[in-house]
Amino acid sequence: MSRLRAPFSVEHLVARILLCGGLLGIGLVLLGLVLYGAHGGFRHHVLDVRRQPAVQPPGVFISVRQVADGLGRRPIDPLAVTALGLIVLMMTPAVAVIAAMPAFWWTGDRRYALVALVVLALLAVSATLAGSLH
Amino acid sequence: MSLTLFSIAVLLTSIGAGAVGAILGLGGGILLIPILTVFYGVDLHYAMGASIISVIATSSGAAASYLRTGLSNLRIGLFLVLATISGALVGALLAGVVPVRALELILGLALSYSAYTTVKQLRDELPESPPDDPLALRFDLEGTYHDVRLERDVVYRAQRVVQGFSAMFGAGLLSGMLGIGSGAFKVLAMDYLMRLPMKVSTATSNFMIGLTAAASASIYWSRGDIHTLIAAPVAVGVLAGAYLGTTLMARMRNATVRKLFLPVVVYLALSMIVRGLGLHLP
Repeated sequence: MSRLRAPFSVEHLVARILLCGGLLGIGLVLLGLVLYGAHGGFRHHVLDVRRQPAVQPPGVFISVRQVADGLGRRPIDPLAVTALGLIVLMMTPAVAVIAAMPAFWWTGDRRYALVALVVLALLAVSATLAGSLH
Repeated sequence: MSLTLFSIAVLLTSIGAGAVGAILGLGGGILLIPILTVFYGVDLHYAMGASIISVIATSSGAAASYLRTGLSNLRIGLFLVLATISGALVGALLAGVVPVRALELILGLALSYSAYTTVKQLRDELPESPPDDPLALRFDLEGTYHDVRLERDVVYRAQRVVQGFSAMFGAGLLSGMLGIGSGAFKVLAMDYLMRLPMKVSTATSNFMIGLTAAASASIYWSRGDIHTLIAAPVAVGVLAGAYLGTTLMARMRNATVRKLFLPVVVYLALSMIVRGLGLHLP
């Protein structure tokens, strides 16, 4: 019996990217937590839930560079793996819209390819503006 | 509280927040921030950082499922997110220029009226067959989904697109000026103004909130507000909860979703009026 392939739809592409991005992000988050537990982190670490100004506690990363440094360290910093998962998670919605743009164009829906492009531009302006205000 | 116990407790809490967020199109921040700060003593900045992660995780988990089943409308989401992001940008520029308290009071009164209309249409399952809106036709703001509960396909088309788009711009404006999330306003605009089925409204809001949250997540990150040991159990729990929520919502009636949504609108209306009047609750 032959399997019928569902026709291509932008919705299914975006859904797949959101699903894969979500699962990859959470997979890395969990991997980091497991490694952290294996290194005795849960037993030895006391979590300070109060934020101290001008102090960067373990587990807080403020740049991609810091995450990369943690991943390159030997032994690897398990919380850098978790932070990488959070970065993947944060980027997933934007990646989905980036993929939707050519997909709309390819299916002949030029209007929504343009809408997706404008949404991306607005997101970029918004992030840049927020960054400069911060 | 030990780190292990804290992580398990936050994980379980986040499963609930993710399920509620996925059903109501809110992202979970409205629940998570007070729970993390009041019950777990987490610093407000870390709670807000975890909340932004929860919004993105709920959105990714819920929207992935809703887009496949047709409950979330990608075109309506992208079209309306143009208005909310533009509004948020203008709002951020106007912050400090426009009197905030007056705005909060106006918003609170507008939400009170929305709560009243929500009560009036509490039992409505689906909107009446829509008149043709030229913008809805031009921008293809329509769709079909199979309603598991009603056991039939539901065809819908957006109405009053100009009003809906304007309300989305207003929601973004207030979000930019007041620094509040606008998931509830998005749902109200789609449900009440554009007369979309309630389930389509909350499912489409789920897709939209992820996009707007992703734009601001980098700011929280660079400010050091995202603590991996707090955000990680939140992200895992919320994503699991979002999948649970999408399964539950597919089996609910539109009227049930609206009933669950009503307390959120009432709470937001009251809190905005209280803030607008300059009162501080204990």
